[in-house]
Amino acid sequence: MPSLKDIKTQINSVGSTKKITSAMKMVAASKLRRSQEKAEAARPYSSRLEEMLSSLASSAASGEGIIKLLTGTGNDQNYIVVPVSADRGLCGGFNSSINRETFKLVKSLEGNGKKVQLMPVGKKSRDFFNRVMKDQIIESFVDLNVSSTGYESALNISNKLQELYFEGKFDKCVLVFNKFKSAISQEVTQQQLIPLDVSNSEKEEEKENSSNAIYDYEPDEETILKDLLPKNVSIQIFKVLLESDAGEQGARMAAMDNATRNAGEMIDSLTLKYNRTRQAFITKELIEIISGAESI
Amino acid sequence: MATISFDLVSPENLIFNDDVGTIIVPGKDGDLGILPGHSQVMSSLRPGRVMIYSEDKNLVKSFFVSGGFAEINPEKCIVLAESVVELNSLDKSSIEKEIEELGGKDSKESEEQLSIAKAKLEAITVSFYDKI
Repeated sequence: MPSLKDIKTQINSVGSTKKITSAMKMVAASKLRRSQEKAEAARPYSSRLEEMLSSLASSAASGEGIIKLLTGTGNDQNYIVVPVSADRGLCGGFNSSINRETFKLVKSLEGNGKKVQLMPVGKKSRDFFNRVMKDQIIESFVDLNVSSTGYESALNISNKLQELYFEGKFDKCVLVFNKFKSAISQEVTQQQLIPLDVSNSEKEEEKENSSNAIYDYEPDEETILKDLLPKNVSIQIFKVLLESDAGEQGARMAAMDNATRNAGEMIDSLTLKYNRTRQAFITKELIEIISGAESI
Repeated sequence: MATISFDLVSPENLIFNDDVGTIIVPGKDGDLGILPGHSQVMSSLRPGRVMIYSEDKNLVKSFFVSGGFAEINPEKCIVLAESVVELNSLDKSSIEKEIEELGGKDSKESEEQLSIAKAKLEAITVSFYDKI
């Protein structure tokens, strides 16, 4: 049976853990608000870019060069998968669900005879895939700090991807990331980045065609499209980074909230145990005194 | 006189959103003056000045953009720009220094930056469009 002192130390140590987790929760909550604001601020740009793109997409039947970002290479043998995780842990299942999902995706693609390469973003997925599929990693990006560096960080990733694409290193690029649904829930999502998935923008296109499709283009449709497509890749990545950042803070907040609550419960039960032990100790001493007095 | 709604958007946030009288944007093939009721145009932009005027033709705000796109219809004008700075926050000497540094390098990327920096310098030195 543990002594009173042992229990007291345990209570103290759980108490200080509780303090840390509740502080982390508070930090995550304030960071979450900032990240959310950033993600919202970036929304007008990406939605308008998508609108523009969808009204232009029809003019690109097939083509060479940059248009390939829209039409694809005509192959689907080589894949590149980009898992977007956080740089830091202590945020519940945030990172492990990304890694698990990516791992599953890679295995199923390989099962279909495709060649898959990886480009992890964030320390947690880099470290994970360094352990399990080291030779498939072609590049990794860590310490992005998207909420402070902003668009630049997305630009780096996008430039690298496009460079590899035009060298013919891959045909399709898929992002795996945590979509920010609400402060307490994130959803692991796969998004095809290259070639551009126009399935949902096609609908918008129809809408636009019926209402107001007669635009003058300056210089001409193709030139604009050539400018627009690479930018769209960067913007999509930027959007994903921001969503993932907000999701990370949300996940950490929820995880730390749970941890704080668990620590509280543990302290309660330990305090109960402490009091019981103390009472048992007193009772025992009393019995000893009484039986001692009786025997005299 | 009527007004036209104008949005200036960068990837990070919405920079300007208001009803204005006139806007001048640096189109790829030449500057575009946009008044309410402009025909539908979609244009890509070169590095240059975006000038915003009130209904009575007074300059409200001026920005430097490093390129981007403009979508114009009779009621609304949207400019999507990759980097946007307010014109009077630019500092001439630091741009000149940048140009000097970039001039030494010889890569495609620095060439692009150089042309942007040169456009920046031009944007703060010229004064046409200050009054229309």
